[in-house]
Amino acid sequence: MSWPLFWRTLAWNRVRLLVVAIAAFGWGVLIPVIYVSFSEAIRELANSGFFPREMMSFGSGDFFSVPGAMTLGLQHPMAIAFVALFAIAPPIASVAGERERGTLEVLLSRPISRRRHFAVLAVAVLLILAVVVAALILGELAGAMAVGIADELDLGQVPLVFANGLLMWSAFGAFSLAASVSFDRVAPAMGLSLAYLLANYFLEILGSLWTDVAWTQEYSLFHRFNAGEVLQGKADPLDFAILAVATVVPLAVGLFVYPRRDLAAPA
Amino acid sequence: MDAASASPAVRTDGLTKHYGQVRALEALSLEVSRGEVFGFLGPNGAGKSTTIRILLGFLHPSAGSASVLGLDAVAESVQIRRHIGYLPGGIAMYDSLSGNDALDYLADLQGQPPVRREELCERLSMPASVRRRRIRDYSRGMRQKMGIIQALQHDPELAILDEPTEGLDPLMQQAFYSILEDLRAAGRTVFMSSHILSEVERVCDRVAIIRTGRLMALHSVDELLARRKRHVQLRWRGSVPDLSGVPGLADVVIEGDRMTGTLQGDVAPFVRTVASPSLVDLIIEPARLEEAFLEYYAEDLEGDVPPDRPGKEARA
Repeated sequence: MSWPLFWRTLAWNRVRLLVVAIAAFGWGVLIPVIYVSFSEAIRELANSGFFPREMMSFGSGDFFSVPGAMTLGLQHPMAIAFVALFAIAPPIASVAGERERGTLEVLLSRPISRRRHFAVLAVAVLLILAVVVAALILGELAGAMAVGIADELDLGQVPLVFANGLLMWSAFGAFSLAASVSFDRVAPAMGLSLAYLLANYFLEILGSLWTDVAWTQEYSLFHRFNAGEVLQGKADPLDFAILAVATVVPLAVGLFVYPRRDLAAPA
Repeated sequence: MDAASASPAVRTDGLTKHYGQVRALEALSLEVSRGEVFGFLGPNGAGKSTTIRILLGFLHPSAGSASVLGLDAVAESVQIRRHIGYLPGGIAMYDSLSGNDALDYLADLQGQPPVRREELCERLSMPASVRRRRIRDYSRGMRQKMGIIQALQHDPELAILDEPTEGLDPLMQQAFYSILEDLRAAGRTVFMSSHILSEVERVCDRVAIIRTGRLMALHSVDELLARRKRHVQLRWRGSVPDLSGVPGLADVVIEGDRMTGTLQGDVAPFVRTVASPSLVDLIIEPARLEEAFLEYYAEDLEGDVPPDRPGKEARA
């Protein structure tokens, strides 16, 4: 472990991490408040048949139950934006960004192997993602307590929800890190990572809104993080296994590619 | 003395690097002794940076091998980097950090105390007040000075410096040369690339000249200069004497009382011949490395290094 590199990576992200963690917590608090305020109206709207029931849900979440609302809060584009910022930006900035700026060679002229560099960044990114995911979940719990619906949740399952969410975002973080070590420039690494995330999100949302293509959700990593089901004690080990594979494979690719890459002089 | 400490500071053996069809480096073999200041000369694209990047483990050779301080450049790259200081060409630093924070960070990564930092900062005019400012506010010269300081602050055994005086003003160049002298005196090795021939001539013990990835020459600076032709001019009262017998004198042109020519080798026979009360003026221009350098690039040497060139006798 290279502690200076680890702490510096965290230090470079500390301000935005603090700001986004606070915002994520605030967003989490809002979800139970919205649920309590509007769930009845939404349920009536759904029962009226005016809107197809599928249109009343979003991804794997909905406002028909507390766990459903928790899931919706974690799959909403706002929450995605909070976490995606850290699943993509720090990994890309740490290697492709340093390479583009020309600072990577100053760093790598120190006695740090590229494997160690990669591993330290992976741990730092994991920690950053853990903070944001925890902020979201804790915000939802705080909101649920504030509006008196926490007793509808099995709080014993919360660590599993956290693990599930962190694992999913780790998969995206690992992909971004692998992309980052594969390119000399930020734009292609960023583009690829963003495309991967958006494609997964698109498959999840498309399948939830259009029942004929519900099968598309099976191919989305977002479908493997269903906080509602986990909270109800129905966590699927297969989801965890798929997310673990989706995390480990890019990490293995990055660990293979990075030390073998030629780092030619920056243009 | 163990095998590693007895080995040359840098050794390359048939070092080759191809990027697809592009031959960046072709069978480069050279040795740099410990304690010498070694100049690595060549125009842009000659393969200087490629060589340096292989030595640092940034690039993998297509063929051949390289070792630094007795350690293999591919297999033992991390160990090598414990003992070296590196200044990249056109250095980039962490703009959002202050000078002090950047130096601290890089020293922490190096894992060695920055024992020479204060002295280097003083010699390169980088006082604490400047180092407290963010690097984004630094001029190009200040960034270059930061680059030199970060490369040398931990007193490395071997300094690999790519265009070290780029962006430095003449005063700071002098300060840098003085630092190099101290490094030499302390038995440290310096491997530097440069475009500034007068600088190389002044500070280096030996020089390698490469062209399109091939070694063209590897000599001591004195040796290289001794091979060069000096331009001579003399003005004579009356007619110029017969100088045809002077060894090494060539390209003689006589116009009235003036003679110009080139002189290779020892100047004594020439001076003895022209020493006379009739001699009005005599100019013997010093041999310049620039001429030696340009000579190697004036010719079209796409094939192998000619046998009279030191490329193949290069291992010192």
